Amino acid sequence: MSEFLRSYLTVGLFGALAVLVVGTFLGLSSLVRPTRPQPQKYINYESGVDPVGTGWSQANIRYYVFALLFVMFDVEAVFIFPWATRLEAYGLFGLVEMFIFIFILLLGLLYAWRKGVLRWI
Amino acid sequence: MTSTVTAFAQVADFARPPIDWHAVAPELVMLSVGALMIIIDIVKLERAKPYAAALSGLGFLAPLVPIATLAIDGVASEPRVMFGGAYVIDGYSLVLKALFLIVGYLVVLLATNYVGEGDYWETEFYNLLSASVLGMMVMASARDLITIFVALELLSIPAYLLAAWRKRDLKSNEAGLKYYLMGVFASSIMLYGMSLVFGVTGSTLLTEIGATLDDGIGSEPAVTLGIIFVIVGFAFKVSGFPFHTWAPDTYEGAPTPVTAFLAVASKAAGFVALMNLVVIGFVEREEVYQPVIFFIAAGSMFAGNFMALRQDNIVRLMAYSGVAQAGFLLAPLVVVGEGPEVAATAVSSIVTYLVIYAAMNLGVFAVILAVARKTKSGEISSYGGLFDYAPALAVLMTLFLASLGGLPPLGGWYAKFGIFRSLLEPGTGWGYTLAVIAAVNTVIAFGYYGKIASRMWFDAVPDDDRTRIVVPAALATALVLCIAGTIVSGVYPGAVTHFTDVELLAFR
Amino acid sequence: MLLNQFLVLAAILFSIGVYGVLARRNAVLVLMSIELILNAVNINLVAFSAMTGNIAGEVFALFVIAVAAAEVGIGLAIVLLMYRNRHNIDLNEADLMRG
Repeated sequence: MSEFLRSYLTVGLFGALAVLVVGTFLGLSSLVRPTRPQPQKYINYESGVDPVGTGWSQANIRYYVFALLFVMFDVEAVFIFPWATRLEAYGLFGLVEMFIFIFILLLGLLYAWRKGVLRWI
Repeated sequence: MTSTVTAFAQVADFARPPIDWHAVAPELVMLSVGALMIIIDIVKLERAKPYAAALSGLGFLAPLVPIATLAIDGVASEPRVMFGGAYVIDGYSLVLKALFLIVGYLVVLLATNYVGEGDYWETEFYNLLSASVLGMMVMASARDLITIFVALELLSIPAYLLAAWRKRDLKSNEAGLKYYLMGVFASSIMLYGMSLVFGVTGSTLLTEIGATLDDGIGSEPAVTLGIIFVIVGFAFKVSGFPFHTWAPDTYEGAPTPVTAFLAVASKAAGFVALMNLVVIGFVEREEVYQPVIFFIAAGSMFAGNFMALRQDNIVRLMAYSGVAQAGFLLAPLVVVGEGPEVAATAVSSIVTYLVIYAAMNLGVFAVILAVARKTKSGEISSYGGLFDYAPALAVLMTLFLASLGGLPPLGGWYAKFGIFRSLLEPGTGWGYTLAVIAAVNTVIAFGYYGKIASRMWFDAVPDDDRTRIVVPAALATALVLCIAGTIVSGVYPGAVTHFTDVELLAFR
Repeated sequence: MLLNQFLVLAAILFSIGVYGVLARRNAVLVLMSIELILNAVNINLVAFSAMTGNIAGEVFALFVIAVAAAEVGIGLAIVLLMYRNRHNIDLNEADLMRG
């Protein structure tokens, strides 16, 4: 078997294990738990917001700021992942550099917080 | 993807890159000042407002100290090369960094009263200005496609926001939107070009790109397309024909201090990037960039001057005049492929022009701001009889306009002289043709510069309103600095060329 | 490495993006078209990088991704500002200044 296929075998075994473990627990719990079906239990977000209208309804514009902030900080993670894979090689120097990077990012978040952007009006 | 894996494996033996802290001190100081301004804003909120302008003014002057020590250290003769040639600190980048900082300082002087008296976000204005200037400083040293791209975005993104600064003013919104859409479109086109250049040459370092293209390696169509896309992308930035259409609208709608910043600093940064790319990277592919730049330069001069003749609004007129000046600044790049000496003359003539242009153009905008404090109007007719009630402003404006037109013994004359010299030196047909076009356009330009001057000196005062114009101290300081620069550079050009006689060399 | 396929895909995306910028009059759609161009650039960079083995291309692509997010953030803010003031984002109607 080639090296390539063997690494996929690992993935396959891992997947099978996951299915087995999850199936066992779900099966066990379905055996022991009481069953009292109610219509509320079958809606999409139980104890959440009731879905109203179609999936194409407009979202409140106030979400925009949060979405924007999320995208900004989410994308900055693109620089942290490559760094994290090689963390040991970079040593103390790399750690300090990344803390400076994160500090500058944090300034942005603090700024948004102090200017009241994060408050829900 | 095996090649990628090996590429990662190669960097396994990571060693801390040597960092020349002294060489990057100007950028670090600028960055620290910017961070400090944000921290003060976070801590003090509204109470930070009164100090914002002063702090940001000092912030622009502080990095001049490490620039001076670097210059004393002899960086001009022994350049500091960092990150394998991606970041170079030499005489060329030092003088440009100093130019950007001084322009930033002058813009703060222009903006102090304008921003302070309007209902604007004050601290953010100066923070964004500092960020933009930091991007320009990085651009001056950037010798690598990635660095150039990051510097370009760092200087542009704050500028988009500044253009839309008057939030409730429809014109300002529109100015910001147009500038943003054009700018982002241009930078995406430029990126596509860069990706092709990277693909053909296999490197992002400009020196290596230059060496590879010199060897004639690489598929012709991809190189051609890549170089053209990159140049076109920057033609937007410097508002060259036929990509200049955003400039008049953005200049008119944006707050006037921001317009001054865009017209001087942002445009200069575009030229710096073009010089870095063309003189170091693409220089051997003359057959590709020569016709493109020739077309943009000649077109900018004609389009800018002819459109400027029919403008009634002074800011729009200055926008078209800026398009024409961009044509002048682009012209020497047409001949840089003729040899290292020609390239050196061309680069130093462009840098000289940028410095003198900054002084005289900021001067014009300072006068526009001062006059608009009284008239609240940008119409040229509102300048009627300015000499009667504000003689000092009228004389200053006339001097700035004469300098922009190129009358000796003012700075603009020497700047234009340098451009002509660098065009004629190599003795090629391209150079001679452009020199003739430039000469014709110098004459046309007098048409509209003279129009404003004659309004100020000979026309009647509109509505006979002779209230005096009160020029605030900050604006007056800016005016004095600009007129001093304009006159000194013309009467004693050595004072400018001592600093701007620089070369742009490829370092490994 | 089948470089051509990647380059053709990138060229197609680039052309669709340029067409969208030039033809669309809705500001948000123009923003999306610009994103298409930037993604074409990323495909080009990663493909070339994988072919030549120079990792700089992938680093470049990471920078493009991060900067594109910042650009779009600013762009949406400006478009939103315009919507608040004039209640539409049609670029043809943004013509207060002429000449």
